[in-house]
Amino acid sequence: MDNINVLIIEDTKAQSDALAKVLNSNNYNIVGIATSYKDALDLFYNNKVDIVVIDIFLNGNPDGITFAETINVVPDASRPFVFLTSSTDRKIFERAKLTQPFSFLMKPFNELEILYAIEMAVEKFYAQNDVFLSDEEDTVISKEYLFIKKGKSLKKVLLNEIIYIEVEEKYCNIITEKEKFVILISLTKILDLLDNTMFCRTHRNFIVNSEKIVEIVPADNLILLSGGHKATLSDTYKTIIKKIRTLR
Amino acid sequence: MIKQKIYTFSIILWLPIFIFSQAKVKDSLFQAEIEKKVSKFKTQTNFKKAHLFLLEKNWDSTLVYTMKQLSVSNNKELTNYCHLFRGHSFREKKLLEKAKKEFKLISSEFKFYYKVNINLGEILLEQNEIEKAIDYFKEVEKLINSNQFVYKKSSVLSNLGLAYAELEQHNKAEKYLLECKKLEEINKDTIALIGTNNNIAILHYSKDNKKQAFEFFKKSYKLAQATNDFDLKTTTALNMSIFEELKKNIPSALSYRKEYEKWKDSLNDQNKVWEVAELEKEFAVKQKQKEVYVLETENKLKAAEINKLLYSAIGLLVLLASGGYFYREKIKSNKIIVAQKATLDELNSTKDKLFSIVSHDLRSSVNALKTSNSKLQESLETKNFTELDTLLNNNSAITNGAYNLLDNLLNWALLQTEQGYFEITSMRLFIIVEHVAYNYKPLLLDKNISFENTVTKKDLIDADQESLKIILRNLLDNAIKFSNENGSIKVYSRNTNGTFCELVIEDTGLGITENTRLELLKDTALLSKKENEDIIGTGLGMQLVKQMIQKNKGKFNIESELGKGTKMIVSLPKTAS
Repeated sequence: MDNINVLIIEDTKAQSDALAKVLNSNNYNIVGIATSYKDALDLFYNNKVDIVVIDIFLNGNPDGITFAETINVVPDASRPFVFLTSSTDRKIFERAKLTQPFSFLMKPFNELEILYAIEMAVEKFYAQNDVFLSDEEDTVISKEYLFIKKGKSLKKVLLNEIIYIEVEEKYCNIITEKEKFVILISLTKILDLLDNTMFCRTHRNFIVNSEKIVEIVPADNLILLSGGHKATLSDTYKTIIKKIRTLR
Repeated sequence: MIKQKIYTFSIILWLPIFIFSQAKVKDSLFQAEIEKKVSKFKTQTNFKKAHLFLLEKNWDSTLVYTMKQLSVSNNKELTNYCHLFRGHSFREKKLLEKAKKEFKLISSEFKFYYKVNINLGEILLEQNEIEKAIDYFKEVEKLINSNQFVYKKSSVLSNLGLAYAELEQHNKAEKYLLECKKLEEINKDTIALIGTNNNIAILHYSKDNKKQAFEFFKKSYKLAQATNDFDLKTTTALNMSIFEELKKNIPSALSYRKEYEKWKDSLNDQNKVWEVAELEKEFAVKQKQKEVYVLETENKLKAAEINKLLYSAIGLLVLLASGGYFYREKIKSNKIIVAQKATLDELNSTKDKLFSIVSHDLRSSVNALKTSNSKLQESLETKNFTELDTLLNNNSAITNGAYNLLDNLLNWALLQTEQGYFEITSMRLFIIVEHVAYNYKPLLLDKNISFENTVTKKDLIDADQESLKIILRNLLDNAIKFSNENGSIKVYSRNTNGTFCELVIEDTGLGITENTRLELLKDTALLSKKENEDIIGTGLGMQLVKQMIQKNKGKFNIESELGKGTKMIVSLPKTAS
């Protein structure tokens, strides 16, 4: 599990410092603090950014909104973002609202509020609402990552690193090369959201990363995966043999 | 000369007789016969009309309709009648040749053919074709005793006599005239008798039989005296005078002449009187007509005036009504304005009061900071760190209070001007309570108040996040403010089955009186009564809470027991699932 990379766009040093401090203490990784629109674009395109926290007013201009509008132009390159503002001026809000998905946080805010706002931004951006606050789920799935809520903060797992997923009722055991952990997500949802050219279901309880398959032993109903992991192959899902190019 | 005069006279005399007799005929058998024909040929409207016009003596119309009738029908009988009508009409119009032509078109089988002969004879007589006239009259004379003959026999005889007189066949003339006279005497036809006597006298005179002539003139004159006919009187008198003059009996002639003049004058007078009367009548009629015109125009004017009056009355009425209406409206709106003014004044005064309180509070806060800061400096110099810590804590409490006040002020201003962003979304009540309570952790710890948020995580409500936070901040702030040390504050949801979720903020603080409670729940006016000098603030917070709840379509209630604690209850609409 990796920390999430946050880009902060804030022109007041005291405030950006405070924000960075809060995020750091909650295991977020600050990739940079931009104080202007130009800086922000530089930092955004030269770093792997997962979430952007944007102050609407930069040096008196609503450049924060302009930044959001700019990154939204290329949908695949865009990232979840949170607006920070100290005024509830309606005109500014009407403009900011056009940069869907829209989430904002009023200054001054406390630790809980900024963490909540970031979670909301992720949920909204990947259109999987009501995940982190519910007791049933704790994971949002993007094209590259799983965003998992761990304690107060979010963590991410690169989908490529997952070897297989073992479903146990409401839980899913995620097995990567380095670690093994449990997430809360429904099977239907995970099957729906995962790229099905990469992840195949091999059993009622197994979803396997096809790139990690070392060998399929149909006789034993067994799939050998990299790292010495094994998954079960049931008769129902044997058709995957034809689809999948194994390592050998 | 004399002869001529007499002749002129005789003809004048003869004509009225003729017309008279003809008119009489119309009323008798002939008339009845025509009526019969009319009813027999009911469908022949032209004939009927021609007949009617004939009776009205409208000769032109008679001619037109008979012409129409002739062109339409071939019935012999009707044709004969038509020609008769036409002939008669032409004769009346003095178109004698045409009349003759029309009469000659009538077939000899016609029932009233003798009439044709009489007419023709008379026309010829008028045209001085005496011999031809005599032929026609002779034809008539043959029939004179038949019972179909309804014409005045005497007039035929008279005509014959006159005709012979014209031809100077005096014996024949005398015979006819005497016969005529006899008939007239039987019929007691005085006027005709005067003429006949006159004619006989002229006849005798022309035979130089002066004595007899005188006798007849005298007879004629005497008869004329007995009538009322001025014409006859004048002519007979004139004749007598001429006759006397011829006899050289001048005095007598003169007296006759005078009589003649008298009659003539009276005739003239009468004519003149008649004319004058006619003129007067005309004048009077004209005058009347004028008067009528004047009256008419007057009437028109009056009507116009009446209309004008009516319209202006209606206009005035409408004006009055609308005036009344607007007056009432004005009074109404004035009342509203006065009421509005009263409320505005009230609001304004509360606003003013609010400003003074707020500024007073802020001033004292800042003043406290000032003194505290100088103390801090002192402590720093003396390195009294424990003192430093308490002072800083104190400062932060002061700034928190002042900040909250300013925040409320700002939000209140935004709410009044509707400039703030407001968007109702679905959210988890629990999280919002957590977020708000997070800021009060130090304060709670400071007063050693236990805090519990037991709102169900599943409670989803519809609200604007920022305004909900303002509500919760104020309610929590109040709860802490009014709680004693070691008290407890509980926030929980009472999930009724309705569409609302009740959020309860319960403290174990001072509690409030029923009056204050009601005062707090009132819709208007800021609570600025300082019941509890130390802790009760401006009331701005509560005002804000109420207005925000209203804006979020929620409800607000307070339950309290003095000395035991207060429950602030906010009902918010649940998210419809």
